[in-house]
Amino acid sequence: MSHSINTSRRRFVSSSAAITAATFLPFNAWSQQSSVFRLGALNSITGVGGPYGPAMLESIRIAVDEVNAAGGAAGRRIELFAEDDQTKPDAAVLAVKKLIEINRVEAVVGIWPSSVGLAVMPITNNAGLIMMNTCGAPEMQVENKRGLAWMFQASNAVFGRAFAQIARQRGFKRPAVMAFNNSTFVGLANYFKETWEAEGGKVTDLVIYEPNQTSYRTELNRVLATKPDIIALGSYRPDATIILKEWFQTGQDCSFIMPGWTANEGLVEAIGKEATEGIISVSNVAANEHPAYKSYAERFRAKLKRDPDVFAAQSYDMVITLALAIEAAGAQAGPIDVNSKIRDVTGQDGDRIDSFVQGRDAIKAGKKINYEGASSKLIFNDRGATVPDFGVSEIRNGKLVLKETVAGSA
Amino acid sequence: MDAVAIINAAINGIVIGTLMALPVLAITMVFGIARFPNAAAGDYMTLGAYTAIAVQTFLSSSLVLGVLAACLVTALVSVFFYLWVFRTLESRSNISRLIASIGVAFVVRNTITFFAGQDQYNLDVPLVRAWNFDGIRILPTDLYIMAIAIGALALVFYVLHGTPLGRRMRAVADNPDLAAVSGIRSRRVMLYLWVLCGVFCGLGGVLLGIKAVVVPELGFELLMPMFAAVILGGIGNPLGAVIGTLLFSVSQEIASLYVGPAYKIVMAFLVLLLVLLFRPQGIFGRVMAAR
Repeated sequence: MSHSINTSRRRFVSSSAAITAATFLPFNAWSQQSSVFRLGALNSITGVGGPYGPAMLESIRIAVDEVNAAGGAAGRRIELFAEDDQTKPDAAVLAVKKLIEINRVEAVVGIWPSSVGLAVMPITNNAGLIMMNTCGAPEMQVENKRGLAWMFQASNAVFGRAFAQIARQRGFKRPAVMAFNNSTFVGLANYFKETWEAEGGKVTDLVIYEPNQTSYRTELNRVLATKPDIIALGSYRPDATIILKEWFQTGQDCSFIMPGWTANEGLVEAIGKEATEGIISVSNVAANEHPAYKSYAERFRAKLKRDPDVFAAQSYDMVITLALAIEAAGAQAGPIDVNSKIRDVTGQDGDRIDSFVQGRDAIKAGKKINYEGASSKLIFNDRGATVPDFGVSEIRNGKLVLKETVAGSA
Repeated sequence: MDAVAIINAAINGIVIGTLMALPVLAITMVFGIARFPNAAAGDYMTLGAYTAIAVQTFLSSSLVLGVLAACLVTALVSVFFYLWVFRTLESRSNISRLIASIGVAFVVRNTITFFAGQDQYNLDVPLVRAWNFDGIRILPTDLYIMAIAIGALALVFYVLHGTPLGRRMRAVADNPDLAAVSGIRSRRVMLYLWVLCGVFCGLGGVLLGIKAVVVPELGFELLMPMFAAVILGGIGNPLGAVIGTLLFSVSQEIASLYVGPAYKIVMAFLVLLLVLLFRPQGIFGRVMAAR
């Protein structure tokens, strides 16, 4: 009997040693030979991102279907695993760990808010995974030390500059700035001030306010006392609702320029047509003229019966860009190799292509390619960020009316 | 800083202070009679605001009906949690009741978000311009809010000092054992107390919802400043609660003219600190001798 105990003990030791060794292997070692590319979608389905998340996930599905219908990328079918981050960093961390540890994904796409992006990036970086997002906090670019994160939406530094340029073009002379106290909006406020004062002139006042208050009247009165002709307002919808309500009540004449994810029909619904009339709303807009957009938008409309917003178009581009990079890296490539091909498939010196199939055939023919996406031209800077075109809209009678488009990164 | 700006800030502080005095009064009375800091008060306010939203969405656009429904629903919920949770813990230490009230707060808030989600709601109130007196701005809506809040406060002070119920309440607050010996049925006093707590929190929540936006964290975010106001006025003292809240919110608004708005809450706590340095028992608090 003692003999059998010995063998089982030996077996136990050897098998546990094997298991221990296996857990130390990086994830990509598991998937090297796999004929499937495991893709994680981390979207803000519920919470503040709720208006955007579901359409982003649908766009990711549209792109995955496109790639799989064409026989996969480098012969690898894309398998999608979707999770909801509830627009909260804590929920996002749990969800991304599940995607990495249980679903063993090789890339995570579709991350919407910067709070989630900044929380998730250390985890994807440690696991050596590609992470594609629409986050706007300037810190995203600073933290992107391994070059594995890709920002498909303009940073708020760029937004701040764009706000200043648009306000100047429209003939405003005395701007003031009010911003919510977080990295996103303080960044926007400071870049606005910097850009405005670099081109001459002064910002009458810059007020950073504390979030979660029930009234911002004193802060607002302080700004209004400097008699600005326009206020650059970096706010989310709840605080913007209170501030605009209180501004309207004062009766003082003043214009507002705001980011498009706050100044939209939802804001009109909250405070009515009268108080929102004439607000200038600046947002990234999809590349409506690109063939990639037209083909994608048609499929999107067939499913959701409306036009895609810019975040949805960005999500579609994430998957197509990734698929082209997989194609370029070859069937045996792990995430790091795929990642290194992302710049190659969006490089400006390649042949312009507008769809996955077109790009795949060009790669097979040994050509350099440049994917011009549905959301933008996808020109990534050295920190992995791109700048889509800006749409300048005005709220007129409760509806957003597009006035002009300003080119993004050239 | 010119006088107009200071007067405007003070007016704003007085309006918010009067409004906030309602839930603060509820907290201080629960502390005085049931003897624990009720951390669920903030979420009772949120519940009131959401009830008014529900009435406006499903029943009628009348704000008056919304306010009444908010008071009623919050009072019922408040009594329900008294009977279910706080009565059971009556003989335990006040720490266990404090912890239980934090639990109640979570239950209320998460039940709200389960049905209403995280997105903001707005009470449907027409936007009107302020009356402008040489730069000093007064909002008609604020006057209504003040009138309702002052009316409610006057009523509760009348109840406390002019009716037999108030005398019983004050007797229980002073010395529960002596009150029981004198034949006061403390159970009934407690029921009235929790009804009052619910009504005042609910009313405060709706009035706040009219001024601001209705989000799930509406009341919870205010819990710390409300507790500070209770301490400032003297714990358990109703008049102190009102004065404390007014002082706290006026100093907050005026301070934000001089320091950055990011520091306004700091300045308000500085006032609290100064008062407590000279009067550790709070403005109206009694000195409690410890043996």
